Amino acid sequence: MLEQLTNGLAIGGIYALVALGYTMVYGVLKLINFAHGDLFTLGAYLGMTLLVSFGLAGYLPPLAALLVMLLMVMGLVAVSGYLLERVAYRPLRRSDRLAAVVSALGASIFLQNAIMLFYGPNYETYPDLLSVTASLTLFGVSIPVMRLVMFLASVLLMLVLYLFINRTRTGTAIRAVAADQGAARLMGIDVNRIIALVFMIGPALGGAAGVLLGLYYGNISFNMGTMYGLKAFIAAIIGGIGNIPGAMLGGLLLGVLEALGAAYISPVWKDAIAFLVLILILIFRPTGLLGERVAEKI
Amino acid sequence: MKKLIFLCLAIGLFCIASVASRGAAADASAADVKIGLMAPLTGSYAAEGEDMRRAVELLAEELNKAGGINGRQVQIIVQDDGSDARTSAMAARRLSTQGVCAVIGTYGSAVTEASQNIYHRSNILQVATGSTSIRLSEKGFKLFFRTCPRDDDQGKVIVNTLLGMGFKNIAILHDNSAYAVGLAEEARDGLNKAGGMNIVAYDALTPGERDYSAMVTRLRGTSPEVILFTGYYPEAAMLLRQMRATGWNVPMLGGDATNNADLVKIGGAAAVAGYYFVSPPMPGDLDSRVAKDFIQAYRSKYNGDMPRSIWAVNAGDAFNVIVEAIRNVGDDSAKMAGYLHASLKEFESLTGPISFDAKGDRVGDLYRLYKVNDSGEFVLQPRQ
Repeated sequence: MLEQLTNGLAIGGIYALVALGYTMVYGVLKLINFAHGDLFTLGAYLGMTLLVSFGLAGYLPPLAALLVMLLMVMGLVAVSGYLLERVAYRPLRRSDRLAAVVSALGASIFLQNAIMLFYGPNYETYPDLLSVTASLTLFGVSIPVMRLVMFLASVLLMLVLYLFINRTRTGTAIRAVAADQGAARLMGIDVNRIIALVFMIGPALGGAAGVLLGLYYGNISFNMGTMYGLKAFIAAIIGGIGNIPGAMLGGLLLGVLEALGAAYISPVWKDAIAFLVLILILIFRPTGLLGERVAEKI
Repeated sequence: MKKLIFLCLAIGLFCIASVASRGAAADASAADVKIGLMAPLTGSYAAEGEDMRRAVELLAEELNKAGGINGRQVQIIVQDDGSDARTSAMAARRLSTQGVCAVIGTYGSAVTEASQNIYHRSNILQVATGSTSIRLSEKGFKLFFRTCPRDDDQGKVIVNTLLGMGFKNIAILHDNSAYAVGLAEEARDGLNKAGGMNIVAYDALTPGERDYSAMVTRLRGTSPEVILFTGYYPEAAMLLRQMRATGWNVPMLGGDATNNADLVKIGGAAAVAGYYFVSPPMPGDLDSRVAKDFIQAYRSKYNGDMPRSIWAVNAGDAFNVIVEAIRNVGDDSAKMAGYLHASLKEFESLTGPISFDAKGDRVGDLYRLYKVNDSGEFVLQPRQ
């Protein structure tokens, strides 16, 4: 039971990091950024390139290399997110919501195929920064070191984001734009800048999640963004889309529920369980666990 | 009057067109023998498909250089089956309209199964290369052959190997694909019949995922002494990696779908070391003259690459038997099938002598036991 919990929390951390990107963009733009899952894939591939082609692990001790790579990938994916917003979403800001959604789907297909063309359709493997077979024993449960690192890194990133959103002026501006764009603009907030920022923070977290996933499972593929993106999207809805702590909670909860479902019902039903949870929550709490009931804007 | 001129023009055009097309058709039958290749060029097993294509194109090139079949050149028409049953049905339909007399392929059993009816109806000879599921040859299709063994051959070797290892408790795991279920059932029934071994778990996982930690924990709870996984290499690699990561060093044995160099690439040498699998011998372990020449030609044509697995070499076998049949009885599919069933005996091909039984299955036992060593190499174990 305890071991299944750690299994679930590890993957839940990844879901949560990716879910944050969905929820932040939805918060400010009411747009589902379907290309987010592919930015996550992009992060995983960029991390691999840094490690393998630039031999980052050769210059630095493993943990330092991990940290440097994580920061570099976050920066690169943030830039990609910014470009995506400029090219695919900003020109459509004033058009129909449907146009933006179609543009998001198009961007997703474009990114996925670009990654496939560049890196090829096969599995790519991550070099092992830390020993694959190393494990720690805590409370009688043996936990792989990599799993611990992955979980701690995702929690740390979420904590930093939480403090940033709640304790800084820029964070306050982001919340203001999410609450009411028009009023925020009247208060002198540069809404375009805030939206661009959100499109950098979300993908940066997604890219970091991609790197962690690559390191943990050791292999990545160009189309993995679809499934992980979908799961993270579910996590965001479970937590209440637009709500940042909700996305974190939803991600961890989804990971744990999947692991427990796989353990006590059947591993084959894992995905079905995730979707079942989604349906139940939509029936009984349509706004998600932490979502607030907001009156429709007129 | 206008109508009359129009009519004359139309008739004239029709005549020209029909003469032209007849000319083209006559040309093709005199010059080229068309052989189809259906392979997974995209999708999960894209790497396998690429090797199949390379092997067949290499052999076709060599054959054409040497003068073709009785003076006729061979043309290979490739279609992608996408590692997927629906795409495979479309590929089969496309091939059957392209004038091929025989088709090589394909890799996955479920994928081959989706194409069988189509080739059967279109009267095209099919030689599968990696599809080992039993029921493919139990449908009574007279034009279906395969150069790979079937699961029950493999199942027998797996049962014997497991009994030889002397364990008491075993967990069997498959991935719900036609191939893996077939092999898992075969092994389970074989073990039950032989007695003395206790099946503590019989379960399935979902292929294509990354996280099998829940499965690993669940299996560990049943404390097996050995695990038999009958699925494919990506899942086997992930399972091994996640087992070893939690410090669980239970021995694991797999089927021939895990015989792929990417197993070590995905799982990491440290995690995959000690893994057993049964498989037909690998390209590098083949010792006949024909095989050695083939491997040498393959490496020099494709910048030193080896075929990743035996299944690409089996595609080469399929090409060779089709060519042999056409050489002897021409490209009529029924005659070719008759020849392969009755007259082709101990035909020297890449993976050894080939004969077919009445169902189109390859005769003879190809399987051997392999073990992965610490540096991630597949080492052929001596015959027990």
